[in-house]
Amino acid sequence: MLQSIFYGLTIGGILYITSIGLSLTFGAMRIVNFAHGMVYSVGAYGLYYLSHSLGLPFLVAALGSLLLAIPLSYVIERLVIRRLYGQSIDYAIVATYAVLLIGVDAIKWIFGPNPLPISDPVGISLNLGFLEMPVYRLIIIGLSFLIFVGLSIFFKKTIVGKIVVAGLQDREAVRSLGINIDRYFAIVFVLGSALAALGGVLYAPLSTVQPYMGFQVLVLTFAVVIVGGMGNFRGTAIAAFSLGLIIALTGRIWGPAAEAMVFVVMAVVLIIRPIEV
Amino acid sequence: MLKRIEQSPPLTLLVVAAAFFVYGYSTSLFKITDFIIFTIFVLGFDMAYGQMGKLSFGHMLYYGAGSYGAGLCAIHVYPDPFLAILAGMIFGAALGLILGPVLVKLKGAAFALSNLAFNQLGYFLVLVPFAPVTGGEDGISLSFNSYGFIDFSDFNFRFYFYLACLLGVVFLYQRFTRAPYGIFLRATKENEIRVRFLGYNTQVFKVVTFVISTTLSGLAGALNALNLQFTNTSLIDPTRSVEVIFAALMGGAGNVLGAVMGGMAFMTIRQYLADYLVRWEMFLGIALLFIAFKLRKGLYGVLAKG
Repeated sequence: MLQSIFYGLTIGGILYITSIGLSLTFGAMRIVNFAHGMVYSVGAYGLYYLSHSLGLPFLVAALGSLLLAIPLSYVIERLVIRRLYGQSIDYAIVATYAVLLIGVDAIKWIFGPNPLPISDPVGISLNLGFLEMPVYRLIIIGLSFLIFVGLSIFFKKTIVGKIVVAGLQDREAVRSLGINIDRYFAIVFVLGSALAALGGVLYAPLSTVQPYMGFQVLVLTFAVVIVGGMGNFRGTAIAAFSLGLIIALTGRIWGPAAEAMVFVVMAVVLIIRPIEV
Repeated sequence: MLKRIEQSPPLTLLVVAAAFFVYGYSTSLFKITDFIIFTIFVLGFDMAYGQMGKLSFGHMLYYGAGSYGAGLCAIHVYPDPFLAILAGMIFGAALGLILGPVLVKLKGAAFALSNLAFNQLGYFLVLVPFAPVTGGEDGISLSFNSYGFIDFSDFNFRFYFYLACLLGVVFLYQRFTRAPYGIFLRATKENEIRVRFLGYNTQVFKVVTFVISTTLSGLAGALNALNLQFTNTSLIDPTRSVEVIFAALMGGAGNVLGAVMGGMAFMTIRQYLADYLVRWEMFLGIALLFIAFKLRKGLYGVLAKG
């Protein structure tokens, strides 16, 4: 039981890190960004390429693939997202999904369709007798808490964060102060994408990397965003960890149902509290 | 010219029938039955998207429900092809009735993603818990009774029967969109609050439209099960939902001819170009980007203007 809770927190941490960007883009720009899943897989594949093919140490490879995600997401923002502001949300869905398809296929082209393994970079477990805790998973949980605290400070204390929060509430009012809000949203977009890549990097050693991993995580992160509320930082965190726990605990009772359970929760939330988008 | 055809229902039926006849006899009737099934599916999807303005990202769920409805009916009840088709439609309609009241309240992204989530759930249910009934990943193979010339294993008969189904759907679609009901739907799409202000219960109309959409998708799924003589999980795979969206957008949403053109064009690309396009998903992605930015009215929009 404790073991399952521990695993659930790990999944929750990764879901949280991956979902922030999606929640922010949604809250800030009213754009559903399917391309988010692509950046996530690029993070994981970047890690695979740098650490396995080039033989770099894990930390360097992880940083390298995060750095790779930044220009990539900037290009996506510039070429696709920026052209969709204020337009029918259907086209945003279609266009960003198209980016996801292109990314998935490019990955298949370069790395082949088969899953690739990445080994646990730490490889040590803390054994407490009743509970075995791989250190790598502990690091993930710790990192997700650090990011939560860091983002809270970022949005409360820094001027960039404050502008973004204000822009989330009333975009026009911020613009009338002479602030180019789109530029700040672009920063947030790149930040969120880099975090998605981090999610991919962190998840890769727990499982294998495969071309459709972005698609799978995307549906889960959407569930997180819908359960937690769009553009709601704290809600996203709570939803991510709760859903992570639900996945792990359901998986303990009946393995195959683990991810399906998330959608049941999401459906219930939607019925109780329909969102207006 | 396209506009004039679209405005006259008998002419539309004639043009659609002629198009499939010419295409079928100049290539192969066997392949064109696939095209017809997919076109019915596009029309079903377009009922929700084009008429009601709700983009679903999980319409494969209703298609798959139709396939499995037909398949399970043939195995467990009676292997009559018409009963199977009816069962498929009932499955599609039932899912629409259960999920519709919740789903149609949602808008935009929430509607799209909730459909996707339900599709994932349905896929999982078919794949794992119901595997003893549905055959899991392997699926089930089917055989149907034949009565004289009514023989679903003969592709000539299938072609004519499916074409008749398509023409029936086209006819009904046009009747719906031309009736006050269709005008009402478009009004709701434009401004729902005003329509409610006039005293109409928009929720009921939206659920009805959604059920029509899922029933048509179920019909397409059932016809496909009869066509393939088997069902498996690829018929309910959520990642394939993008195909119907692509076809509907490419043809031009919101009218019959657009949906038919989209269905035919998509299937043509998949049948004949897919062999040369090694990177199928990349092609699909680039084409979707092009549609989203440059071709919003679809083929119909381009051709009707010229």
